[in-house]
Amino acid sequence: MARIRDEHDGSRWSRLQRWLSEGDDPLDRDLIEAVDAPTPLPDAVPPVQPLKLWKVREEARRSHRIEKADRFLRILYVLSAVLVCAGIIGVLWLTTERLPSFGGVENPANNEVPAHYIEKGMEETGAVNIVAGMILDYRAFDTLGESNVLFVAACTVIILMRIRSGDPADRLAEDAGDGRYEPGEDSVLQVMAALIVPLVLVFGVYIVLNGHLSPGGGFSGGAVMGAALILYLNAYGSAKAGRFFTFRTFRTVSLVALSFYALSKAYSFFTGANELPSVITAGTPGRIFSAGLIPYLNIAVGLVVCCTMYALYTLFRKGDL
Amino acid sequence: MLDWLRFALGAVLMLGGLFVLLSGVLGLFRFRFSLSRIHAGALIDTIGILLMLGGLIVALGFTLTSLKLLVVIAFLWCTSPVASHLIGKLEVTVTEKPERSMAVENPEAVAQVKEEG
Repeated sequence: MARIRDEHDGSRWSRLQRWLSEGDDPLDRDLIEAVDAPTPLPDAVPPVQPLKLWKVREEARRSHRIEKADRFLRILYVLSAVLVCAGIIGVLWLTTERLPSFGGVENPANNEVPAHYIEKGMEETGAVNIVAGMILDYRAFDTLGESNVLFVAACTVIILMRIRSGDPADRLAEDAGDGRYEPGEDSVLQVMAALIVPLVLVFGVYIVLNGHLSPGGGFSGGAVMGAALILYLNAYGSAKAGRFFTFRTFRTVSLVALSFYALSKAYSFFTGANELPSVITAGTPGRIFSAGLIPYLNIAVGLVVCCTMYALYTLFRKGDL
Repeated sequence: MLDWLRFALGAVLMLGGLFVLLSGVLGLFRFRFSLSRIHAGALIDTIGILLMLGGLIVALGFTLTSLKLLVVIAFLWCTSPVASHLIGKLEVTVTEKPERSMAVENPEAVAQVKEEG
């Protein structure tokens, strides 16, 4: 019986089982023993080997060969780097030589599509800013994809980085440790943030709301708003920022904005393609309430971009919103 | 004549700004310790920007654009010193032996900054 148990103890299966149940790695145990064991003092100095001349010569020859090969490789490396760089420069140079001149009338980009955008864009979409008319009306489908790409990126980062334990005590400890390696609660930064954050936030809202009238739009304005929120978080800490922005806020805002975008654009595409009467009209170009859906789509895109920026920052900072 | 004078003044200001930018970049690359580098970088963001944009304002005359340039100067003068302050504080917080890279006049204050994090 004892023999059988010994065999069982020595078998791989039993070692695996022990390792799984006790978390005791035999490899670790060996290491620990090796570290704990006192180093034995050398009993005697090892006898000096007689010097063999041919061995020394062999060694010198070999090291000389290695050095030569090393130098050769280094020269080869520099030469090939220069050659590759020169080749790339040459290819690019030749390509630029054959490109159509910048702003030329006969360029392939100057076909009927941009001409239509420029001539009829304001009339058809009601947006003074032609770019806004393009990306949020003619090519709104593309912009929906871009907003979704941002959302998917944020979701991926959440999957990879979110480390939130369910235990409330652990959460408190996490929040206390947040920003341990950053200058937190800095009074200089707080005073300046109190001055700057409202200005930047209002500026971002202005960019978003005026997206169809002046340069700007949802993406740039949303980025500005997200930067303001990040500055606030850095100045006042996550406890205060958590009062107005939590994971639930991120979820709700993203969901509402993206579904509003998809549904409203679906309606407008459906009515437009079937030539049905639509409640969305271009309005008077230049007014703040004009250009049909564009201002509202700008707001949706701006909210998604703002939330995504902020969420990415907080996730990378402490692994939670 | 007046236009020429204005242009000359603007050019002198911009040349001064260029000198400051050049010395700042040189300092950024040549100084050994972070705090000295912060000094060089902050020089670019404050006095260099002031001289360059001030030269532009003087050369172009007072329009809406120059008003925007003034706002840019004000924004940078508010934010850049704060950024330098934060980087310096972080440097003091994380450096193990601050005496080796900077003159420490008040070790208790350094210890306090390290404590507060």
